[in-house]
Amino acid sequence: MQPIRHPVGRALVFLALVVFALYSVVPFIWTVLQSLKTDAQATALTPLIWFTPTLANYSRLWLNAVTPQTAPVLYGLLAVSAGLVLLGVFAGRLPLPVPVTGWGIVGVIAALLVAVPRLLAMAEFYDYFINSIIVSVAAVAVSLTLASLSGYALARYAGRASVVILLAALAFRALPRMGFLLPYYWMGQRSGLYDTHFLTIMALVAVNQPFSIWLLRGFFREVPRDLEEAAMIDGASRLTAFVRVIIPIMWPGIIAAGLFTLLLAYHEFLLVRILTQSNWTLSVAMAQFVGGFSVAGSISLQSAAAVSATLPIVIVVLIFQKHLVRGLAAGAVKG
Amino acid sequence: MDRKTFFQFTAPSNLVMLALMVFPLAIAVWFGLHYMTFSNIQHPEFIGLDNFTEILGDPKFWQAFLWTLEIIAITVPAQLVIGFLVALLLDQVTGRLRSLFLAALLLPMVVVPVVGTIVFKQLFEPSGLVAWFYRTVFSQPFIFNELSMKVVILIHTTWLNTPFVLVIFFAGLQTLPPELTEAAAIDGAGRLQQIRHIVIPHLQTLAVLTGLISVMDTFRLFDNVFVLTRQNPIFNADTILTYNFRVAMAVQQLGRGNAVAILTVIAILIVLIPFLYYTYREQIEQA
Repeated sequence: MQPIRHPVGRALVFLALVVFALYSVVPFIWTVLQSLKTDAQATALTPLIWFTPTLANYSRLWLNAVTPQTAPVLYGLLAVSAGLVLLGVFAGRLPLPVPVTGWGIVGVIAALLVAVPRLLAMAEFYDYFINSIIVSVAAVAVSLTLASLSGYALARYAGRASVVILLAALAFRALPRMGFLLPYYWMGQRSGLYDTHFLTIMALVAVNQPFSIWLLRGFFREVPRDLEEAAMIDGASRLTAFVRVIIPIMWPGIIAAGLFTLLLAYHEFLLVRILTQSNWTLSVAMAQFVGGFSVAGSISLQSAAAVSATLPIVIVVLIFQKHLVRGLAAGAVKG
Repeated sequence: MDRKTFFQFTAPSNLVMLALMVFPLAIAVWFGLHYMTFSNIQHPEFIGLDNFTEILGDPKFWQAFLWTLEIIAITVPAQLVIGFLVALLLDQVTGRLRSLFLAALLLPMVVVPVVGTIVFKQLFEPSGLVAWFYRTVFSQPFIFNELSMKVVILIHTTWLNTPFVLVIFFAGLQTLPPELTEAAAIDGAGRLQQIRHIVIPHLQTLAVLTGLISVMDTFRLFDNVFVLTRQNPIFNADTILTYNFRVAMAVQQLGRGNAVAILTVIAILIVLIPFLYYTYREQIEQA
């Protein structure tokens, strides 16, 4: 719709947006504040807004031992991470081609993740963090590969088999995890794959790919058939035409589907809880910080864990946010 | 694309679906017909439909079922309305400001649901912001009882699920050709009339699909209720899935737990029929 021009109208729109944004964000701001307090400050009956922040909760959460060298190494690592995030946000404006900066950033992050436990004595929380990264990245890669092949085929073939597969995918998208939990547990125990990343990843792919297939089928239907047909007349096989011609123009859609997959894999609680004994992801590890369990009682530590688990995924989504809307608008939401 | 190529392209995903969806569901049905605990998991005892009849006779099951329906009836319309309004508002701002607001508004969808719930619950702890506000206004402490817990669950579920609706509607608004509303404005249509006669019809199909997805997702609500109530029975706030979890894990009745899951699957499939029919028509017409 065309923009409202009247200044009062604009002010009202702005005000309403601020109210809704606060409604979304206030719980997190509160938790960030809590995570920077001592336990006594965090449980004070009159909420403290002004206080001297402490990072003690974060070091208690992430570090096993604090040595004299810890602080400088820590600040160095934080500076490098902040630099990486800025680089990610402004990657598009650098005079380098995007794939170069992209892979460069991925490489540095991987090197950092390997280097950190050698420099500092990291606590268990770091293992959960690494597990989350491994499981989410692998689930996104596998799920996107399978789902784009299948989604493309569904967009181009309308035989009876396609209807069956599509309806099955939709039904599976809707089913509660509970129905799969015990069978998965049983299959894991029987096959010896219980508590391995492989089984967790495949289970996540299985529960996620129906939605991705459905989303990607919507995108691929918007791509004119002439494109791949032209490539096939020039002698390319359908698979080559798909990989070389269709995928490159589909990036926004694939990124949107990838973001939804990433969120699902990073968020999943029940499946990972039931399929793992020790190889927990952050989502599962978080549950132990909720009252009644071992580390519980400390609201400020719990807050530090909440902020730590949230920050990485928020940064990733911020970097890809504009692709999300553009991608969805490009295909999935065409009435 | 011919049939053979179609099957080649879909083979990997079909294999995963067969191995990790169809096969486990078959096992779940088979488990549902057995008396099974963690101790006799290797040799469960066949008891036919006893699990199912026992569940259908359990008032707790019907209570959980009704409460889940209530959550759906209240939160899904709330999500659709709030999501639509905020999408319209967000469409009014541009550039950097738009990205900033979008980032803030999407936050509840982006964070891990378990974290989002902890964060929300902290507001209501004795030291939390809302509890303090409540104490100051009503001069009595905020306590979780059945009513307040249920209200918090409703608010939190809406808070958690609105961003998904919002981003879909917002993307949908971006596909609305500006000429349509411009022409209507020239013809003298007011903003409300434009919304009613142009924007809403444009988003209608999308709203139905999003609504159905929300219904399905709310039907299997688990994480936030589990974390908020810690399965404490005094709240009477079990949804179908937390009831299911209680039966399967806390009471260790694995077979009966699977029977609950199968019943849930059947209920969801019934809800799904219009959606399936719509997709069937659409896929057939594509040919």
